[in-house]
Amino acid sequence: MTQSRRGSIVIVGGGASGVSLAAHLLQSPSSSLRVTLVEKRPEFGSGLAYSTSLPDHLLNVTDKGMSALAHDPEHFSRWARERGFVQGNEPYYAPRSLYGRYLRELLSELAEREPVRLRLVQEEAVSITPSGSGVEVSLANGASLVGHVTVLATGHDDQPEADLAFAIKTEFVDSGGIDRTAPVLILGTGLSMVDAVLLLEARGHTGQIVAVSRRGLIPSPHRPGSPIRLDSADIPLGTDLSYFLNWFRQLVRDTEARGGDWRDVVDGLRPFNQRIWQSWSTSTRRRFIEHTKAWWDVHRHRMAPQIHARLQETIARGRLRLVAGRLADVTSEGDSFRVTLEHRQTRHAETLSVAAILDCTGIAKDVSASSIRIVRGLIRQRLARPDPMRIGLDVTTDCAVVDADGRPSSNIYAVGPLTRGTFLEIDAMPDIRAQCARLANLLTA
Amino acid sequence: MLTRKGKYGLKALVDLSSRPEGQLAFVNDIAKRNNIPKKFLDAILVELRNAGFVQSRKGKEGGYRLARPAEEIRVGHVIRVLDGPLAPFPCASRTRYEPCEDCDEATCQVRHMMLDVRNAIAEVLDNRSLAEMRDIAEDTFEDLKYHA
Repeated sequence: MTQSRRGSIVIVGGGASGVSLAAHLLQSPSSSLRVTLVEKRPEFGSGLAYSTSLPDHLLNVTDKGMSALAHDPEHFSRWARERGFVQGNEPYYAPRSLYGRYLRELLSELAEREPVRLRLVQEEAVSITPSGSGVEVSLANGASLVGHVTVLATGHDDQPEADLAFAIKTEFVDSGGIDRTAPVLILGTGLSMVDAVLLLEARGHTGQIVAVSRRGLIPSPHRPGSPIRLDSADIPLGTDLSYFLNWFRQLVRDTEARGGDWRDVVDGLRPFNQRIWQSWSTSTRRRFIEHTKAWWDVHRHRMAPQIHARLQETIARGRLRLVAGRLADVTSEGDSFRVTLEHRQTRHAETLSVAAILDCTGIAKDVSASSIRIVRGLIRQRLARPDPMRIGLDVTTDCAVVDADGRPSSNIYAVGPLTRGTFLEIDAMPDIRAQCARLANLLTA
Repeated sequence: MLTRKGKYGLKALVDLSSRPEGQLAFVNDIAKRNNIPKKFLDAILVELRNAGFVQSRKGKEGGYRLARPAEEIRVGHVIRVLDGPLAPFPCASRTRYEPCEDCDEATCQVRHMMLDVRNAIAEVLDNRSLAEMRDIAEDTFEDLKYHA
């Protein structure tokens, strides 16, 4: 495809992945390139993840892993150091608000440097229609943007899924007017739950917090170590899940026997995670999502040691209670909810009254019920289809969105969490920036 | 290194990939067609089943078939399961590393080059499917006929 046909690119979503993609695209020397970044929030750059202002909300990765630019992995580190946020050589877990500021500054520098090739539009993009040789992106205000290519960078859902309509996302804790002395239920026990607990604590919540997930596992803390060296030639690919997990466990045992830590194996494997995922059959992927992902996540997605210590203390004081089980029933009682939790092992049904239910469940159960309008719309128009696990959109390894008949689009692409059916681990910056760099190369080649 | 086990395993899989989809093949027949000792083949097929490359059914009507389409099974993936990490020498593996008695791994130039070699091997074998491997023989045969 020639340059001119792809010269105008509309990016839907101006959060971390949208900004990273724009930065990579603008590396191209082409003078006919036009990049339009569309963001529905009042502020560009921060997206959902980095809008929090709470100082306790830290990045889950040290500064070393957080550059938004694939060609300059030290970019964020340098930025934070130049401004005096990082001193010495201790691992630095930056507050997420600081990372939001980094993204905003990166974008405003770009905007200043690129007055012609970059355009920012603050509006919600609501639908995409193929038109002639390109696409038309309609905005909520009735206007529309025409481009040769559009890239969806819509990130995580910012509203609970339809079957959790009674729940709220953590960002609404501040506006929700939750009774501070009343118990609160959190659905999920992963990193988002940790964020919610920290926010409730910071807002002076004194009522008990109950967090429920199938296994009730919480993320492990980081610990300094050295990832083992692996080549793809060492790793069994394309096998059944149980075969792979046996290999993995054996490698952990061998590494521990040599004085290492399981983290060294998890981190050593990381560069190959996408390749391993892509080598699996659909049924193996499905089994992983259903049976192994919760266990994998608590080892893979870890938290800063100081946050882990605080969480343990919250549990010890009885302020936070973890339940392995499921939400069996919810009824609304005026301002509060009556909820029934079924405990996993005992099948014991526990009923409690809570002031709010927070949705921290993480991964989408069904992308076609996404709270993001433009994503739902694409599926309805048959321009996109859910991946076989329904956790995101079906995309090729080149990030092209696949339509309802299985044809990859030549002008609708997606990056970030929306592509997790194909890439699995695509919510952290090191993976997103690499994906954005590859797509930018493809689109500007 | 590709052992006889790896070679026999690949031949058995190519044999299965030539059967009509979903049809079971008898171990005896696969062994005869490919000149593989039956007992050895039994053991190989069990390993391939445990790794999820083939499915089996027991009993009189029993046998083996591919668990995934031949286009999806990569040659390199099969060899890893049967012969372990792809490595031209025992020292050129990171997980099944066997140091040589007579040299220092960190400074051994031979080992460093062999690590590059193994990555090149993996690159080739992981990009070739069982279906492509099956068709090589046919293509070569066609070529021979054509040029004859």
